[in-house]
Amino acid sequence: MSEPEVNTNEEKKGTSDFVEDGKNKMVIKCKYCLSKILEKKTAVYVEQEKELPLMFQGIDRKQGEIKKEMLNEYYHVDNMYIFENIGFTHQVDNYKYLTCADCEAGPVGYYDLDSKHSYIALSRIEHS
Amino acid sequence: MAKKTYDLLFKLLLIGDSGVGKTCILYRFSDNHFTTTFISTIGIDFKIKTVELRGKKIKLQIWDTAGQERFHTITTSYYRGAMGIMLVYDITNEKTFDDIVKWLRNIDEHANEDVEKMILGNKCDMEEKRVVSKERGEAISREHGIRFMETSAKANVNIERAFSELAEAILDKAAGRDADPDHARIAVERRPSRAPPARACCS
Ligand SMILES: Nc1nc2c(ncn2[C@@H]2O[C@H](COP(=O)(O)OP(=O)(O)OP(=O)(O)O)[C@@H](O)[C@H]2O)c(=O)[nH]1
Ligand SMILES: [Mg+2]
Ligand SMILES: [Zn+2]
Repeated sequence: MSEPEVNTNEEKKGTSDFVEDGKNKMVIKCKYCLSKILEKKTAVYVEQEKELPLMFQGIDRKQGEIKKEMLNEYYHVDNMYIFENIGFTHQVDNYKYLTCADCEAGPVGYYDLDSKHSYIALSRIEHS
Repeated sequence: MAKKTYDLLFKLLLIGDSGVGKTCILYRFSDNHFTTTFISTIGIDFKIKTVELRGKKIKLQIWDTAGQERFHTITTSYYRGAMGIMLVYDITNEKTFDDIVKWLRNIDEHANEDVEKMILGNKCDMEEKRVVSKERGEAISREHGIRFMETSAKANVNIERAFSELAEAILDKAAGRDADPDHARIAVERRPSRAPPARACCS
């Protein structure tokens, strides 16, 4: 309670299981079918506030409504050919969403058409 | 920044009449299929898949084609950069098989002349509805010196194999060109189809 910094320290400790020298320490796989998305140490860990549509939209939503959640931990990939296996959706606004190439689970992240960079959300994938 | 993580990159296109199953082939559409509502609404444009062939790490970038595209609307810009084409028909639909010849002509007109082609007779899980025999598929492929395979996106038959064979053919061609730039192309064009002998598709 007296130490507000404790929070950030804990956060760092959590990611250190996955992040080494700023990169992904482990292989990144699909949570559902374990298809390999990225090799070790090929993506850079970044903290940024960015919304992603939910994987499961549910049936109770209104027509055209897209439920999203705010995520703040991503892996940054600056060249799409670094991916081992990945799917790109059609364009929505200025993005293409990223999916598992084998079971199409997603979005696991997004591709920005302006910068041509890709971002994979840590919470949407498996480290192994 | 990151070092190159592959040896070669091949761009592949899926082409054929509407309804033959191109999107399902890209989607794979197998039992462990798991398309979320959000993803299936938007649809997948292309995939990157990594395969290993003869010790080389190869990235395949595989593109689906938009639904209503017909051969007369597909032109040069569409084929740009494509090194391999999967030409798909539906074994339960005669028209889609007849159109293969038109697609081949379109490819000849608009695609890079040394693009590697492969013909796929899809939906081979629907034996009871078959109207195009496997022999006819093999015959037309032999006639054009193109590889052939029957596939089922639904039962996940030969899909992976088809892509690795196409990739291997591109690799062969590239190797030939490196070794003998003047003669490789001619040699490749005359090489008979290496389509494997009749293999039961879904039995
Ligand atoms: N039984 C069976 N049905 C299939 C197979 N592949 C695709 N289908 C069905 O065929 C229909 C058309 O498949 P699509 O993948 O949408 O066809 P397409 O070639 O992408 O068509 P367009 O996008 O209109 O050009 C769908 O209803 C699929 O379920 C298969 O291997 N077996
Ligand atoms: Mg389609
Ligand atoms: Zn998956």
